[in-house]
Amino acid sequence: MLLSPIAVASGPILTVTEGNAPRTFQFTYLAGDGRGPDVTWIAGSAPGPTVTDEYVVTPYQGPPWPVQVGLSEADATELHLGPGDRIPVKDGHGRKKDVRISGIYRPADSADPAWRLAPALLHPVPGADGVGITRIAGLLSRESLPDARLAVGENELRRTVHFAPVPDALTWDTTATLASQVVKLKAASGSSAARDESLKWESRLDVILREVRGRISAVSAQAAVLLIGVLTVTVLVLLLAAGLLVRRRTPALSAARQRGAALPDLGAELTIESTVVSLAAAAVGLALARAAAPGVSWAWAVPAVLAGGVAGPAFGILAAARASRDRRQPANAAARRWIRATGQLRRAAVEVAVLIAAVAAFVTLHQGGLLSVASDGDTGELTGDTILPISAPALGVLVGALVLIRLLPLGARFALRQALRSRRPLAVFGAARAAATAGRALPLLVLVSATALASFAFILGTTVSRGLADGAWSSVGADARLDVGAEAGAATPAVAERIAAAPGVGQVVVAQVTDSARVFSESTLFTPRLVVVDAAAFQRLLATTPLPDAPDLARLRTPGPGDVPALVRSSDGELRAGTRLQLPRDDAPAIRLTAVGTAPSVGGAGDVVIVDAAALASAGLPAVPNTVWVTGPGAARAVSNSGVAADVVLRADVLRAQRVAPLTAGLLRLAWTAAAMLLALGLLGLTLAAAAGAAERWQTLTRLRTLGLRHRDVRWVAAGEVLPPVVVAAVCGPLLGALLARLTLGPLDLRLLTGQAADPGAVLPWWLLALVSVALLVAAATVVPVESALRRRDRLSEVLRAGE
Amino acid sequence: MSGEPLLRVRDVHRSFRTGPTVVHALRGVSFDVAAGSMVALVGRSGSGKTTLLNVIGGLDRPDAGTVHVDGADISALDEDGLSRLRREKVSYVFQSFGLIPVLSAAENVAAPLRLARAAPAERERRVELLLDLVGLADHARQRPTELSGGQQQRVAIARALAASPRLLLADEPTGQLDAETGLSVMALLRGIAESEGVTVLVSTHDAVMMALADRVIRIHDGHLDEQATGQPYAPVPDAR
Repeated sequence: MLLSPIAVASGPILTVTEGNAPRTFQFTYLAGDGRGPDVTWIAGSAPGPTVTDEYVVTPYQGPPWPVQVGLSEADATELHLGPGDRIPVKDGHGRKKDVRISGIYRPADSADPAWRLAPALLHPVPGADGVGITRIAGLLSRESLPDARLAVGENELRRTVHFAPVPDALTWDTTATLASQVVKLKAASGSSAARDESLKWESRLDVILREVRGRISAVSAQAAVLLIGVLTVTVLVLLLAAGLLVRRRTPALSAARQRGAALPDLGAELTIESTVVSLAAAAVGLALARAAAPGVSWAWAVPAVLAGGVAGPAFGILAAARASRDRRQPANAAARRWIRATGQLRRAAVEVAVLIAAVAAFVTLHQGGLLSVASDGDTGELTGDTILPISAPALGVLVGALVLIRLLPLGARFALRQALRSRRPLAVFGAARAAATAGRALPLLVLVSATALASFAFILGTTVSRGLADGAWSSVGADARLDVGAEAGAATPAVAERIAAAPGVGQVVVAQVTDSARVFSESTLFTPRLVVVDAAAFQRLLATTPLPDAPDLARLRTPGPGDVPALVRSSDGELRAGTRLQLPRDDAPAIRLTAVGTAPSVGGAGDVVIVDAAALASAGLPAVPNTVWVTGPGAARAVSNSGVAADVVLRADVLRAQRVAPLTAGLLRLAWTAAAMLLALGLLGLTLAAAAGAAERWQTLTRLRTLGLRHRDVRWVAAGEVLPPVVVAAVCGPLLGALLARLTLGPLDLRLLTGQAADPGAVLPWWLLALVSVALLVAAATVVPVESALRRRDRLSEVLRAGE
Repeated sequence: MSGEPLLRVRDVHRSFRTGPTVVHALRGVSFDVAAGSMVALVGRSGSGKTTLLNVIGGLDRPDAGTVHVDGADISALDEDGLSRLRREKVSYVFQSFGLIPVLSAAENVAAPLRLARAAPAERERRVELLLDLVGLADHARQRPTELSGGQQQRVAIARALAASPRLLLADEPTGQLDAETGLSVMALLRGIAESEGVTVLVSTHDAVMMALADRVIRIHDGHLDEQATGQPYAPVPDAR
C-alpha cells in the first residue's frame, strides 16, 4: 500500500545575505532506495567530503565547518553563483555558514516523487518562508552529509522518512484501516515542538483520506437520492401494471372462485407465476447491469422484485375474493356512512404515515446533512439510518402527490358543476368522466411522482453542471491564469502588459498570491491565502466575470492613517471585519492590517486576506506579482503565448478535468439517466393508467353513444377523463420537483463535487422542466386519439356485451 | 295497431366468427311491431335476443336483411345517421342501468336532452315530468349510488324516455333486480308504453314478465318460433 520510503535530511533555514530580494537557503539530502534521485552534473561535480579522515575533531568556536552542496540550474541562476563559489548565508543567530557549491546539476527526471519533498532543490520557491521571501536549496550527497551534520548545531539537522501511498492500492476498504493506523501513529508521536530524538510522526494522509472518503460518501448518498426516486416510481409503475393485469384477468379469477377455487390456491398459483416472471426479469436486469458495471449492488433490485412478485397476487386475491363476497350496498344509510368513514380512515392513516415519514426525513436531512449521514455509515452501503434522509425527496414527492390526489376530485367536481351550467354536452360528459375517475390514486401518484422526480433529477444535474462551471471560475479566478515562477517574477508586469495587448483579451490583473501566508492576530497565527492586488483592477475583473462581486474592495483603496486596510474571509469565521492583524517581515517591523470587510473567495480558498498592492507598498512592502488573471475569449491563447516560465491554468481545462473526474461524471450521468428513465416511467405509467381505465371508459362512452353521442365526439369525452391527471402532473410535477430541489439540495453537499466555496443553490432548467410537461401532454394527446381509433373497430354491441 | 308498423324486420341474418367456429346468432328473422305496443322478446340465454335488439337499435349491423324503424332503413345509415337515430327515435334500457355515477338522477335523465341541445327550461320541465312519471320526483338530487337497484332502473327508464323516442329497446331490464322490483319495473314500462305512446321491445326470459306484454315473440337458436310469433301471450295462472 506504500511506496519505498524516501529519507530526507535538511538543515536549518539560512538567510542569504547578499542581493536585494529576501531569500533563504537550506541544504537538503534526499535518499530513496538507498540513493538520491538521479541528476546530471552539467558543471562541477557532486558534493564531496570536506575531509577524508574517518575521525575529525571540530574546534570549539572555530570557523564554520565547510559543507559542499550542488545547485540546480535555476537556483544557481537565482543566486548568480557557480561551482567553487560560496553561498553567503547566516543562521538565525547571525552566524555565517560556509556553504560551497561543488557543481550544477540537472535532474534526470524532474517528476521523480522525491523532488516533491524539496521542490526548492529544482527551482526557487517563492513565499515558502514568508511573504516575498524566496527559498533556494542545495543538494547534499551521501559524502557531504556528515559535513552538513558538523556545519550546524546539534539537533538542527532534521531527518525525516517519507512514506507515500500507492494510489492504485487504495480502496474503500483499505483506506479506512490506513487512516486509522495513521491516526494511531500520530497519537503516539512525540511533540513536533520538542527538539529531541524522539520519533515524531507527521502526516496529512488521514485528513486527506477522510476528505476523500467524505466526498465519496457524499456522492454515494447523492446517487442514492436519485436511485431511490427511480425505485419509488418503478415500484408504483409495477403496482399499476399489476392492477392492469389483474383487471384483465378478473373474469377468469372470478369464474375460478365461483367454481369453488380456494383463495390460498389462487394466491399460490398467482405467486408462483409472478415470482418466476419477476425473478427472471430481475436476473436478466442484474446480469446486464453487472456486465455494464461489475460489482453493482443487487440490493437496489429487491424492492422492485418484491413489488413485481407480490403486487399481482395480492391484487388477484382481492379480485377473486370480491367475486365471491356478498357485499351489496347496505340499505341502511348509517351503515353506508360507516363503510365510507372506515375507508376514509384507512386512507387517512396511510397518508399520515407517509407525511410523518417525510417530515422525519426532512428534519434528519436538514439537521445532519447528507454528508454526516453518509459518513456515519462509513461502509459505503445504505443502512437504516441513512435511508430515511436519503429518501427525503421521494417522500416529499409522495406527500405532494397525496395532496394533489385530495385536490383533484375537488377540482373535478368544481369543473363538473361549471359544466352543468353550460349548454355544451361534451363538457358535461367529459367533466363527469373526470369527476368519476378523479379519485383513482395510483395513476396520479405515478404521474406526479415521475414528473416531479424527473424534474428533480434534471435540476440536480443542471445545478452540478452549473456548479462545476462556477467552481472552475472560482478555482482559476478568470478565463486563464498565469502562475509565474520566482525567476520570472520581476518580468510579471511586462508579461501582463504583453498579454493585455493580445487580441481577444479583456481584463488583465496581476497579483501576488501567497498560500499559507503567516498572519497574526493578537493571539492566533493564521495561514490564509494572502492576495496583494490592485483592488480597483480586481474589482473590475470580478464585475466582468460570473464570480461574485466584492463591493468591499472599494474600501481598500481609501486607506486611513495607520493600519493597512484588508478584506478577510475564513471558513471558521475567526477572521472578520474589525480584526486587527500583523504581517511579519524579515528584519523589519510587522505591517499592521485592519480587516475592513469580507473578501471574496480566491481560488476556492477558505481563508483569504486581500490587501491593496499600493497600500501595502506605502507601508513598506512592495508586492512581487506571481499571478496574472486574464479574461476574454483570447485569454487562453494570450497566456499560453506569454513566453515566460510559468504554469498556465485555463478555466476551460479545469472545467473539462472536473467534468471527466469519475465522481462528477458518474453523478452527472446518473442524474441525466435517472431523469430520462423517470420520464419514460411516467409515460409508461400514463399508458398503463389509460389502458387500465379503458374498458370502463369505453363502456361508459358506448352507453353515451346509445344516447346519441357521435363517434367523432367520443374522443373529447375520453380526453375529459384522461387529461385532468396528466395536466395536473404536467403542471404540478415540475413545480413540486423544483420546490423539493430548493428544500433539499442544500444538505446534499454538492459543493464537495463542484469545488465551490459554498453549496450551490438550485438551478432551474426551465426548458428541461417544460420538456417534462410537454412530453406528458403530447403522450396524453396521442393516447386518446389512438385509443379512439382502435376502439372504433369495436362494435358497440360487443362493448356493451363485455360490460354486462 | 293498424297501418304501417313502427318496426319492420326482414330476413335478418347475423353470425359471429369465434376462431374456426361460426355462430349463427340470427337466421332469417322477420317480424313487424306496431306503434305503441309492448312486445316481449323471449328466449333462452344465447338464443339471439340481445343480438336482435342490437341490430334493431343500430348497435350492430346485420350480415343480411333489412330493419326499418319508423320508415327509415337503418341498415343504410352511416355512423352519424345511426347517432341521430339513437338520439331521436330509439333508446335503450340495459340490465346494468348504465347511469353516470357522479351525476344526480335528474342530471342522468337530462343527458339525452343535452345531446339533443334542448333548451334548459324545456330540459328541466321534461326531467321533472319524467322523474315524476317513474315515481322518483323526491330523489332527483340523489346520485345513482344512493339509490336502490330498482330506483336506478327507473332512472334509466326515465333517461331512455327523455328524448321522446318512438322505440324503446330494453335488454333484460330486470336481470339485476329481485322479482318484486322487476315486476314493478315491467309494470312501469307497460304504463309508459300506454301513456307515452312509445313502442317497447323488451327481451326477457322471465315468464311472469311476459304477462304484461301485448305480444310475445319467441326466439330459439336464431330463429323466430313461428307458432308463437305474433300470438298474444296467455298469462300463466299465478301471474298477476
